Amino acid sequence: MHGIIEADGLTRTFGDVTAVDHVTLTIPQGELFGLLGPNGSGKTTMNKLMTGQIRPTEGTVRVMDLDVAEDPLGVRRKVGIIPEQETPPSFLTAEEYLHFVGKIRGLTDMEERANSWFNILEFRDKKEVLCKDLSRGTRQKLMVAQAFLHEPPLAFIDEPLINLDPVMQRTVKDFLQEYVFKGGTVFFSTHILGIAEEICTSFAILSEGSILHHGTIDELRMDNRKLEGFFLERVRGTAHA
Amino acid sequence: MRELFVAMLKEEWRIHSTMTGNLGFALFPIMIAGFTFMAAWILPVLPGIVPIDTLAFIVHALFALMGVMVGSFGIMGREFMNRRFGQASLIAYSSRSLPVSERRIFSVFIAKDVVFYLFLWVIPAVLGIAAAAPFIGLSPGLPPLLLLTFTLSFLEGLAIVFFLSTIYAHSPRIAGALIAGAALAIGGASLVGIGPAVLLPPYAFLLAPSALPLLASLVLIAVPGACSIVWATVDYPDATRRFPNALTGLVRRFRFFSNPWFVAKDALDLIRSEGGIAKLVFSFLMPLALIWVFLSVLFRFIPGISPLIVFAILLGVISSTTYNWLTEFESFSSYAFLPVDVRTVLMSKLQSYVVINIVSLAVLLAIAFGTGEAGLVVPAVLVFVSVSAYTLAVTVRLTGLYPSTMLYNARVFFTYIAAIAPVLLILIFSSIGHPWVAAAGVLLLPVAWILISRASLRWTVWEMPSY
Ligand SMILES: Nc1ncnc2c1ncn2[C@@H]1O[C@H](COP(=O)(O)OP(=O)(O)O)[C@@H](O)[C@H]1O
Ligand SMILES: [Mg+2]
Repeated sequence: MHGIIEADGLTRTFGDVTAVDHVTLTIPQGELFGLLGPNGSGKTTMNKLMTGQIRPTEGTVRVMDLDVAEDPLGVRRKVGIIPEQETPPSFLTAEEYLHFVGKIRGLTDMEERANSWFNILEFRDKKEVLCKDLSRGTRQKLMVAQAFLHEPPLAFIDEPLINLDPVMQRTVKDFLQEYVFKGGTVFFSTHILGIAEEICTSFAILSEGSILHHGTIDELRMDNRKLEGFFLERVRGTAHA
Repeated sequence: MRELFVAMLKEEWRIHSTMTGNLGFALFPIMIAGFTFMAAWILPVLPGIVPIDTLAFIVHALFALMGVMVGSFGIMGREFMNRRFGQASLIAYSSRSLPVSERRIFSVFIAKDVVFYLFLWVIPAVLGIAAAAPFIGLSPGLPPLLLLTFTLSFLEGLAIVFFLSTIYAHSPRIAGALIAGAALAIGGASLVGIGPAVLLPPYAFLLAPSALPLLASLVLIAVPGACSIVWATVDYPDATRRFPNALTGLVRRFRFFSNPWFVAKDALDLIRSEGGIAKLVFSFLMPLALIWVFLSVLFRFIPGISPLIVFAILLGVISSTTYNWLTEFESFSSYAFLPVDVRTVLMSKLQSYVVINIVSLAVLLAIAFGTGEAGLVVPAVLVFVSVSAYTLAVTVRLTGLYPSTMLYNARVFFTYIAAIAPVLLILIFSSIGHPWVAAAGVLLLPVAWILISRASLRWTVWEMPSY
């Protein structure tokens, strides 16, 4: 199978911690893929490996037909990324930050692009506020906008809804579903199972750096199973083994 | 209060030791002691070259200067740490969640800085001299005395910069008037032959220990210190400041650079961060003025040496410390998820550095033409540019985007000094009698270029440790 993301034996250790342990995973284009795992299971490390922010200890990963280790910049040029920690430069305003990212990405008509995001995520009133003075929720909105500014075909997003209120979570969830419906692909990491069950098309369960299961939400539905029960069974199963 | 203090100290230790390694950081003060131990051996031969009083004054002035630098960093400290280590991860920022007032936290924060730097620099420096004392025939009473006078000098610098910056926060005009008044007073005093001892009572105390200079030192520390704590505006303003888009205009202005948006961002960081442009005055122009005053006094004793050339060389080194400002709000993690590589970030820092150096160059030209040394302006400019580029290149190679923490690794700091100090000494000494020789400093430019290219390779493969 040819996927938009293809990981093969992907491994990353930090000292004696193996954060990601021989992960082999193929994700076809057009999925809203959820990477589910408890805290510390290696989701953020997976995200960083797949976007060339850190190098693997072993194994390879290809994203949109590029070898990530060989061309990390090429990968990041194509995809959009929402990092787990939102760290926009302190002394730019929200608006300036979007323009800044636009310059880095070589985009034109930034005025329009930025404004459309201020409208979609309803934070136009904050566009002149310095990033350091924004609330975490607003900063997270800014990170969402920054990731999709260049209309990427693939987005990696790491816990992107955690600081948003329910209304805004709904807006972002709707946006993601629409985005996938139009042909985009999303690699979505979270430990909040409810969100994954609601919007993801396929998912994998990650525990202690290893993939325990990879399947679709529809399969679960057909078996009449809830994601939560399934997840706990799998994760606890290995913990005891 | 004590708990808060201890917690802050631990935090400071943790930040430094994760960045530089526990051992490397622990060795730092030992290395400082090693340096002063070795430097002390030259003491017996120096009186033939520089009067010992002058030397003592220089060293005290250096400690005062360090106080000024640490102080201006402390002013910006809160924002600096907030930026680098993520919100709320630091005690200094968790004030809102602690049942303690911001003013108290700020005072403890400053106290922590003082203790930290005393143990990191002042005490080890004195211990090194103390260790050498028996070999070079220094009186055993001198090191304890030096500990006192160095500490007082350091605190004097710190208190004065805090005071001025507090005044500045209320009214830039009053602060400006105070600085101008002080400068005039100093100038006037030196014209009528009142020595520098009056400015630095700790130094006067060293020369002739008595109650008056000691009292003067304590007053010079306590009064400005107390005023700045009482008058400090440490509360976060409730009204968030708003700014219309200034980035686009700045990008246009810097369009001749390869990545003008980074330079524009650096400019906004500098202008909008706490202290703003005042930083330039307190931690850059003020020390420079002091150094100039001091060189012109000092070189009256040494014929054949051009104060302008020596100033140009020192200006190069001091200019390279502005790299700290350019990086203090920076972490590569802000870009790691964008299509930007470490090389691009470092290169754009160099471009911002060029912009800042225009200020240094202006200072140099002003001094050259203002003091009748214009004849030497060409070698002075050449040696300034070369030294500035070279020391910056060494800094970037050794510390990447993290100069303020990485330099506190003993090995890194040793390499830094070993790479820079001999070059400075060679330049200064070879220019005695033949000031034009300093222009040979341009030989440093290719070396700087090689170091910078190595730096981008080195920092591309480096991964930031997590705290
Ligand atoms: N830079 C790092 N240095 C050391 N250990 C790390 C680093 N990054 C992650 N880890 C470790 O790797 C494991 C996985 O972390 P992470 O990928 O952040 O998990 P998750 O995102 O699923 O919570 C954890 O045990 C974490 O402590
Ligand atoms: Mg994570």
